Amino acid sequence: MRSLQAYEPIVGPAVLHQLWQLADNLQGLKVVHVNSTRTGGGVAEILSWMIPFMNELGIDTSWEVVEGNAPFFAVTKMFHNGLQGNQVNLLHHHIESYEDTNRANAEKLRPVLEEADIVFIHDPQPAMLMHLCPNRRGKWIWRCHIDASRPYRPVWKYLRPFLETYDASIFSMSQFSRSLPHPQFLLAPSIDPLSDKNVNLPDEEIQATYKRFNLDPGRPVLTQVSRFDRFKDPLGVILGYQLVKKFSPVQLVLAGGGADDDPEGAEVLREVNEAAKDDPDIHVLLLPPDAHRTINALQSCADIIIQKSTKEGFGLTVTEGLWKGKPVLGGYVGGILLQVINHHTGFLVNSPEGLAQRVRYLLNHPEMIRTMGDKGREFVRENFLLTRHLREYLTLMTGLRRGFSSRLVVAA
Amino acid sequence: MDVKTRKIVKRNSSKTEVTPFQIKDCALIVRISDQLPAINLRELRERVGNCSADSLYHHFCETVLRPSFDDPEFHNDFAIWARRALHDHVLAEKLEILDPYSFSDMEELRKEVIDILDDRLSETYYVPWALHDRAFYFHSATTVVFDTNITIDSPEKLCDAIAEMTTSSLYYHFWEARRRTPERRDDFTVWLKAWNDRGIPLIKAFSQIDFYFMSLRELQQRTCQVIREATGGGSVK
Repeated sequence: MRSLQAYEPIVGPAVLHQLWQLADNLQGLKVVHVNSTRTGGGVAEILSWMIPFMNELGIDTSWEVVEGNAPFFAVTKMFHNGLQGNQVNLLHHHIESYEDTNRANAEKLRPVLEEADIVFIHDPQPAMLMHLCPNRRGKWIWRCHIDASRPYRPVWKYLRPFLETYDASIFSMSQFSRSLPHPQFLLAPSIDPLSDKNVNLPDEEIQATYKRFNLDPGRPVLTQVSRFDRFKDPLGVILGYQLVKKFSPVQLVLAGGGADDDPEGAEVLREVNEAAKDDPDIHVLLLPPDAHRTINALQSCADIIIQKSTKEGFGLTVTEGLWKGKPVLGGYVGGILLQVINHHTGFLVNSPEGLAQRVRYLLNHPEMIRTMGDKGREFVRENFLLTRHLREYLTLMTGLRRGFSSRLVVAA
Repeated sequence: MDVKTRKIVKRNSSKTEVTPFQIKDCALIVRISDQLPAINLRELRERVGNCSADSLYHHFCETVLRPSFDDPEFHNDFAIWARRALHDHVLAEKLEILDPYSFSDMEELRKEVIDILDDRLSETYYVPWALHDRAFYFHSATTVVFDTNITIDSPEKLCDAIAEMTTSSLYYHFWEARRRTPERRDDFTVWLKAWNDRGIPLIKAFSQIDFYFMSLRELQQRTCQVIREATGGGSVK
């Protein structure tokens, strides 16, 4: 595992020094993060670096994962979709499965959770755990990674009683938040620039990737990396690509992995394969959850990165694309708005037609592809690397320990 | 890296009684305030009247720390919202010109903002609305302040020290200081006063910086530039 020191060449010494200074006041604190999967998806990726780094900073941090069966994950996927506004049919046996699984996990996790000084519960899957830990002594924070701005009411009405007793909640953007009777904080997520998914790759590896996936390096490559999920609109991407294809010999890569807690992916993948079957220039790639380096190489091969989501939490694949120095065409939703700045780092689009128009514009202005790519990488360096994210967690934990006022001096 | 091993900026300098300048740093943790989001101009006017002074300060002054590209057109969130969500260019311009540091406190600033919003409401034949996903969310922030263990022991070393500062340090000593100190001046100016003649040219130079409409990077460059000019050109080492 890397040390924080390894990031100094990327972020500079002052940024690391800030982390040590903030952590100085949190030594020995017991912190637990709980989510629903160790692999696949942005939350697991964030926790996989955050836990060791918090420990390196002297904060006793552990990561617990709730265990569940297929019906449980089907329900939590319904919650996920429902919170993002989709109508779902929540029945009694769904609730039973959710609550039984949380009870079973509480039996196992109760000692570590009740003993912790701070518990971060990520997303709705383990949200009920707080109710099942009556002797808790620490602060409990619900971290919502998804866009809950306009939830399907029955889902929200069911989850709300579990959530409102938390000491605080965290959202990626204020637009994602719900009215809750506790402080709500805003924290954007981040990427690890030295992870397999984001580290600079040698040119030979990138060239080998063209060959491995039968991509023509002489023609433009458009790439969308994301789960096969309707909210990521892979079919809309194919439509946009088909509009461009009439004018330019582009290739399209739709690459994604499944996640343990996403049972809907197979159905969406089938629809995408069906839409792509007659075109050899559409490459639909189902990658294993640990194919981080392959994803990195595919993003590096791309001329333009696409993330045409119709709903999005933060959109870490956008951050990854920008970090690779590529312009990003992103849906006009969620955290993509924080990252894709029109004419600076890419373009926001609202339809397959809009996507096609911006692709054609960029392909006809190759100098824009380069300048936007350079700007995007610097934008991520300044704002969306893990060091900033870690600093905000440390700041939040300091506030939770000391109380929030307009100014909090932690070292005089 | 042990926090205590961080390099201390101390070069040979003339002996003095003045306490070295302690460079501090800060980080914000932003939270949603207890005001409901505003979806139209009338709601904005009502919420501005009721929101906390911390919230007003956040939307006028802490925006400079936010991730974004430099946007020289608008610097406070109310002007940005008027322009981008309400598409009211006139209102955006009237709000944008407000310099929060020219008011004696946030309550005076609040009165002025409300005055502008009331004027605009009386001028328009309808209440301008934003789209449902473009509501104005009121935020406030806690500034967590911490030591860097770096000190500056003479005015001649100020330029180099500022050039090496994080932007959040610069924010703390230049912007936030005006809210915190009784003099309502930046921390450098307050410290330079103790240096009498050696501090006067720099104090004068600092007073000429129109900092509110600059990004922190621009402020860093501008500050170093005015120090160099005030001290006769080259480096002030």
